[in-house]
Amino acid sequence: MGLFESSEKFEEVLGGFFRLVADTPSVADKLLASKLIIRFTYKDPDVVLLIDCSGDKLDIRPGDTETKADVEMSMSADIAHKFWFGKVNLMAALTRRQMVAKGPIPKILKLLPAIKPTYAMYPKYLDENGYGQYNIY
Amino acid sequence: MQFEWLCRKNTLHRFDLQHYPSEASGSRFRQKVYRRSRLWHQDLPDLIKDKPEFDALSADNPFVLMTGPLTGMRINAVARWTVGSKSPLTGLWGESNIGGYFGAELKFAGYDGIVITGKADKPTYIYIEDDTVELKDSHKYWGEDVYTVNDEIISDHKGESKRHGQVLTIGPAGENLVRFASIASNKGHVAGRTGMGAVWGAKKLKAIFVRGTGKLEVAHPDRLDKLRAELKELYDGNITIEGLRAFGTASHMDVGIISGDIPMKNWQQTDWEKFDEIGPIAYGEKILTGNRTCYACGVMCKRQAEVKEGPFKFDKGPGPEYETIAAFGTMCLNSSLESIGKANDICNRYGIDTITCGSTIAFAIECFENGLINEKDTDGLNLTWGNSEAIVAIAEKIGKREGFGLILSEGSARAAEHIGGNASDFLTTVKGLEAPMHDPRSAPGYGLAYAVTPRGACHTASPIYPIEGGGMYLPEIPELADEITGMSSEGKAKLNIACQDFGMFFSNCAVFCNLGAMILNATQAVDMVNHVTGFDYTIKELMHLGRRIWYLKRGLSNLFGARANNERLPARLLTPMETGPTQGSVPDMDLMLKEFYQLRGFNDDGVPKREVLEELGLSELASLLYQG
Repeated sequence: MGLFESSEKFEEVLGGFFRLVADTPSVADKLLASKLIIRFTYKDPDVVLLIDCSGDKLDIRPGDTETKADVEMSMSADIAHKFWFGKVNLMAALTRRQMVAKGPIPKILKLLPAIKPTYAMYPKYLDENGYGQYNIY
Repeated sequence: MQFEWLCRKNTLHRFDLQHYPSEASGSRFRQKVYRRSRLWHQDLPDLIKDKPEFDALSADNPFVLMTGPLTGMRINAVARWTVGSKSPLTGLWGESNIGGYFGAELKFAGYDGIVITGKADKPTYIYIEDDTVELKDSHKYWGEDVYTVNDEIISDHKGESKRHGQVLTIGPAGENLVRFASIASNKGHVAGRTGMGAVWGAKKLKAIFVRGTGKLEVAHPDRLDKLRAELKELYDGNITIEGLRAFGTASHMDVGIISGDIPMKNWQQTDWEKFDEIGPIAYGEKILTGNRTCYACGVMCKRQAEVKEGPFKFDKGPGPEYETIAAFGTMCLNSSLESIGKANDICNRYGIDTITCGSTIAFAIECFENGLINEKDTDGLNLTWGNSEAIVAIAEKIGKREGFGLILSEGSARAAEHIGGNASDFLTTVKGLEAPMHDPRSAPGYGLAYAVTPRGACHTASPIYPIEGGGMYLPEIPELADEITGMSSEGKAKLNIACQDFGMFFSNCAVFCNLGAMILNATQAVDMVNHVTGFDYTIKELMHLGRRIWYLKRGLSNLFGARANNERLPARLLTPMETGPTQGSVPDMDLMLKEFYQLRGFNDDGVPKREVLEELGLSELASLLYQG
């Protein structure tokens, strides 16, 4: 049993955070520059979130398994949650296949500097939106 | 097959040369894997027994160059080889690991390695072409920079053979006895650490030219082909490899910034608003001109760079690696990637280790900023954070041992003694060697590695960096299969020991590349060696062999005077950050050292106990350490 009790709750929490990122120009503009469509497939609980950076605005689409994505990322919900705190050893997670990334690797790596500011945003977002029980750090 | 090696002595210049013909198959591997350090204490016994206190810059200091059983094979990430000698920088066991094409060419010429003792009376270079080995006059190359010598020697021997050969050389820094001078091959492949170039300079050895026409044999070609096919699938699409292919070692900039691994402002920061100006994307936009690689390696992590105009103009050539970008960039708060490229070009041409050079400059900047030195001391240079022009200028002065560069050319530890006051507070050295660009506050196991590694602060002597950093996973070795415990110091002594034992086999003897071979597991690495050599080693046997080698190196540094009180991290690396990814984290050195000493069987002085060495079959080393 992971930290999140249901798919609905995890989608609500992480989907809400992705929408916050979409509304934060300093981060969103860099993601939009990548033009990538990224699908996150989470397990335990199972959730799919697609981030579409191909348009003028970041589009967050929960449950979208149909759109052809440039990048497919899969991991457990708990690893994903920990990642957004900046507390995952990214290289170890990828090497030990706790995270699996498929797609154009150079383009994926270019996203890392863009998302770095979000690590500070995540715990604040949890506290300010009634998800304090998930703020584990 | 009987183990044998030929020894020819050429006393033309009181300069003794021994060269080691390769075996046709790998049947000498059992000896070879620990030959470099073994040579020191067995094949050169008089030297070590009678006068271990000899000066690293004297004729007494032997120099050993040794390839591994995989060097020269057409396989990814095995082009590397190693050099070893007493270090002019630290006074302890010194060694460096290098890639490129020279090692393969040496094998094609029929040699596994070269041992150089004595000192030439005049500038000399060694000429090797298959069975021909000669000492030649190198007056015309003396004083020339690395790039020029490389091109000139190849040009001078052009037409003698269809192959153009490979050159290993020092630059003016080595000739001038800069204590962190490097040895370079093919311009951008560098044995940088611990000042091996100054050992050559002291011997008046300018270069080695090698050209070989032989072919290497493989004991089990079918098995090796099968493994190659398996590894092709592993390499294709692997995120670490693709990152190296796309951005070179600079790819670590974007990963390391997340974990707080990258030292900034002489280890006082882990973040910086100008960081992206010298990141891998900026590299591609500002100075990148192409890729390079080592012999038969498809990873292609090396970069070519150029700055076409302006104060930092340099011709197309080898571009800066991650360590260099951090040393001359983040460490000095220098956001000019062009100037970092220029500093790299200067270091390459003069033949200087970029880690020690950049770190020593960052140290000097802090001394300047704190009023310990001023423009009168620095030949008028305004040595402040981020002053790109001054950073480049002082790098060149170091290469020339000119003005203030003369002080810094001794390394930061000696410079601190010269400057005085509280200059030593700004040092980042362990045993006299400047720490590499990986912060133990982000991974405390690095801190222990820096403290106990025989050559001083080092992230490559064992795979602790890729293991704790996460890029390497060896599930077959129980100590290395556990979850990485983040910033906790618990269990890191055990982790380090397993890394050291495996690492002595992996990147010191085999010799795998710590980067390009990072994605192999232990079984694949051992299988490769077995298929090439014909042996049937197990992981356990090679770990045991690695352990013996580690104790040998440790014992050599002990013989040269290293003791427990040298195994402390500088205060700068133990000061917790107030913000950022490593906030509040410092390695618990007391805990880790206590566990490490216990597990390794050291006495309180940091010397392996006699019975531990004897149990490992190192009685001769024990006798040397405990004589009298």
